[in-house]
Amino acid sequence: MRRRLFPMLSLLLVSLLLTGCWDYMEIESLEFVFGLGVDQVKPEVVVVLEMAKTSGGGQQTMVEPKVLSTKSQSAATAARALSNPAGLRTFWSHAYVFLISEQVAQEGIIPAMEHIVRSRHLRSTVWVFITKECTAEEVFKSKPPVANSVSEHLNSIVLMQDAISGFLPLQVWQLNQAFAAEGVAAILPTVKLVHQRGELVPIVEGTAVFKRDRMVGWLDGQESDILCLLKGLDQRSYYVVDTKVTDHGYFPITYELVGNRVELKPLVRKDGSIAVAISLTLELGVEEIGAAPLSFRDEKLVRSVEAQLATFVTREVRGFLWKIQREYNADILGFGQLFRRKKPEVWRRLGEDWDAQLRDLQVELDVQCKIVFTGTSSEPLLVRE
Amino acid sequence: MFFWQRTKKKGPDPRGLDRLSSSLETNLHWLQTDLFASDETIVYRRIKTSGPKPRDCVLVYADNMVKHEYLSQFVLRPLLKAELPKGLRGEELARYLAEQVIEADSSECITGYSQIGDKIMGGVGVLLVDGCPLGLVVDAQGWAKRTVTEPPSESVVRGPRLGFSEDLGVNISLVRLQIASPNFKTRFVQVGEQTKTRVAILYLDNVTSLDLVDEVQRRIEEITIDAVLDSGYIQEYIRDAPYSPFPTIGHTERPDAAAAKILEGRVAVLVDGSPFALTMPYLLVEAFQANEDYYNHWMVASFHRLIRYISFFITTSTPAIYIALISYHPQLIPTNLVVSISAARKNVPFPGIVEVIIMGLVFEILREGGVRLPRPIGQAVSIVGAIVLGEAAVSASLVSAPMIIVVGLTGVAGFVNPWLNDIAVLFRLLFVVLASVLGLYGYVLGVIAVVLLLSSMESFGVPYLSTMTTLVPQDIKDTLLRVPWWQMTLRPRYLASKDRQRLQGRGGRGS
Repeated sequence: MRRRLFPMLSLLLVSLLLTGCWDYMEIESLEFVFGLGVDQVKPEVVVVLEMAKTSGGGQQTMVEPKVLSTKSQSAATAARALSNPAGLRTFWSHAYVFLISEQVAQEGIIPAMEHIVRSRHLRSTVWVFITKECTAEEVFKSKPPVANSVSEHLNSIVLMQDAISGFLPLQVWQLNQAFAAEGVAAILPTVKLVHQRGELVPIVEGTAVFKRDRMVGWLDGQESDILCLLKGLDQRSYYVVDTKVTDHGYFPITYELVGNRVELKPLVRKDGSIAVAISLTLELGVEEIGAAPLSFRDEKLVRSVEAQLATFVTREVRGFLWKIQREYNADILGFGQLFRRKKPEVWRRLGEDWDAQLRDLQVELDVQCKIVFTGTSSEPLLVRE
Repeated sequence: MFFWQRTKKKGPDPRGLDRLSSSLETNLHWLQTDLFASDETIVYRRIKTSGPKPRDCVLVYADNMVKHEYLSQFVLRPLLKAELPKGLRGEELARYLAEQVIEADSSECITGYSQIGDKIMGGVGVLLVDGCPLGLVVDAQGWAKRTVTEPPSESVVRGPRLGFSEDLGVNISLVRLQIASPNFKTRFVQVGEQTKTRVAILYLDNVTSLDLVDEVQRRIEEITIDAVLDSGYIQEYIRDAPYSPFPTIGHTERPDAAAAKILEGRVAVLVDGSPFALTMPYLLVEAFQANEDYYNHWMVASFHRLIRYISFFITTSTPAIYIALISYHPQLIPTNLVVSISAARKNVPFPGIVEVIIMGLVFEILREGGVRLPRPIGQAVSIVGAIVLGEAAVSASLVSAPMIIVVGLTGVAGFVNPWLNDIAVLFRLLFVVLASVLGLYGYVLGVIAVVLLLSSMESFGVPYLSTMTTLVPQDIKDTLLRVPWWQMTLRPRYLASKDRQRLQGRGGRGS
């Protein structure tokens, strides 16, 4: 045994040492890509990336974002070609965001994102956005007020989504599912540039609505909140509603959504027509009543406020439904999926022609609102005359 | 020429008998010219007894090995005043002297010529009287001894402050003070052809398995070596797995720790001249136990024990994991950190592995340099190390700042487990090399290899990883945690002690 041990050990050692370190890389020779974007797909793919130029080290590490872009035959070749101007090996695993420009989204998003989904260099937790009224390059070149880079800025916005609302974030791993699912249309959050003290600052607000892989329209922040509401997502959005408090006084009151329960039910009526019943139960808190003489000890008044809120939400939801059913004709709420799962025979009969069905789909809406929280006071601020 | 003469004359006495003569002058002549030839530290104090017929006596001893006042007060003074009866010769004379003249508390007779040499080297006085073929041995050992002080290598915040010294008798008495029971037994073995060092095997008769004691004794008796200067010699001779770097025999400088091991059913070995007691069998868990654990509150002790396990992991693995992460898996490092490490390494000329090895080496050099220096200079070494090699090396871009953190953390965590620190250095190096070749995969391979090595080892018949590989509540009580004393009702299972019950009943409290 001992005589054989030495040759065996040396063989093991040699096999370790001679094979070399095929994945070995020096960390300082990497260029960390924070975000990438696709600005154009035809005739050539334009890939933009934001990376970190690091300097200093130790106590004063400086991170300076740099934006590079290149044109090439495909997203993969473009991504690799970017190592050349960068002068260092681009390293993708730490990317935060993936931006697709409005133009590319309208032409069809698949060619732009296929490589991203397939590539093993990129994490599947990268956030995907559509840039609205600007290109990815413009977004990357804007100046976020606090964060080191645009990508970090967008990432931190997404992470506080439940607090600021107005969009629905999505990661790369969900993309495939979002586009492949039957009976539901995809949505992606949008990034746009706003002026802030003379600088262009990127913000995340609103939603891009897709029909198959093409973008067909936008939803603004308020509409995105309604979308969240109907999808049953936990989102603390604010609503400002002109509420009738006294016999002849309307006051703008700000409500915060603190809890919602939503139930979607597919219906088949006796005459064979189909409909969807949506029942919404919302719990709201009062954030600000301004000068309204509203006392929450007044039971009757509270009931009336709740009824007004229900009316308001119903109106909003109706408007939203009209927009997605008629204007965009994109089933982003997944009514088709609902029928496919719960009433497969209906889906088999009507699924072929779902676009037309969606356009005329009846929606029965039942909204219940309840005020559960009034802040630190249940009385208005009193001013003595 | 001179040496040739000496070697020729050396050996048993010319008559071929190993016996003292009744003539004092003959005996003295042999001592001075043969046994202690050219040894100027041997003192021959010649006196005469009083009375009408004074008799010649010589007290022989090695200078500074005896208590001089003691000899002069209790041997020389009574002898000078004594009037020996007429006609006493031979054994009668010796007995008369021992019983009626010498006031020392112990005295025995020796007849052998060569025995005198051993005795005098052992620090006693030998009295030779004219007309008596016997030597009277007076115990008066009095060489310079270190007093019993707190051991510097294992200081405690709370706990007894006694430490072993170099004297075997004192050391045994220190353990006996802790275990005042007639069941506490001691066996003696002599090792070393030149040094004839006494080795004591300590155990508890009613607890320790006698097979274990016999095995320890057998192994010690089999040692053939010329000199034993420290218990380390014995340790290396009798240990299991001699090629493994992990210790399979424990050592401690504290009587309380040694007593605790004996009380659990282990065997302790004390060696004359060494302040370190050996304890066996020794398992890996013991490296993570400190005697203070048992004196502090059990929750605090359990937490400290956890810290020790974590520190061992940190000290063996941090550089390897760091190398694997920055060279193979930068995607596993949080983004902000990876950017900052990358920035810090921008101007460093060496690859990570070289950096780790250089800084690890520097750390070990500083440590080794500081260990054996007097304390004030030792501090200077650490200051030079910290400022020149740490701060300046980073400013000069010779190494990166994260590497200093890694090396510093590794080094400090190593000190948490002093018994495993030296081994940790070896395995750290092994893991670093593996990680730099194969990344995390290589590191994990290395860990697997070490675990295999550990599980193949045993110490005096006890598997080295005992109690660490099982999830039996009784085993966990003193490994991962240190449960309250009243919960530890049994002695460790793996020691196969005669009496496993440590406490009577199921707990004195809390039950």
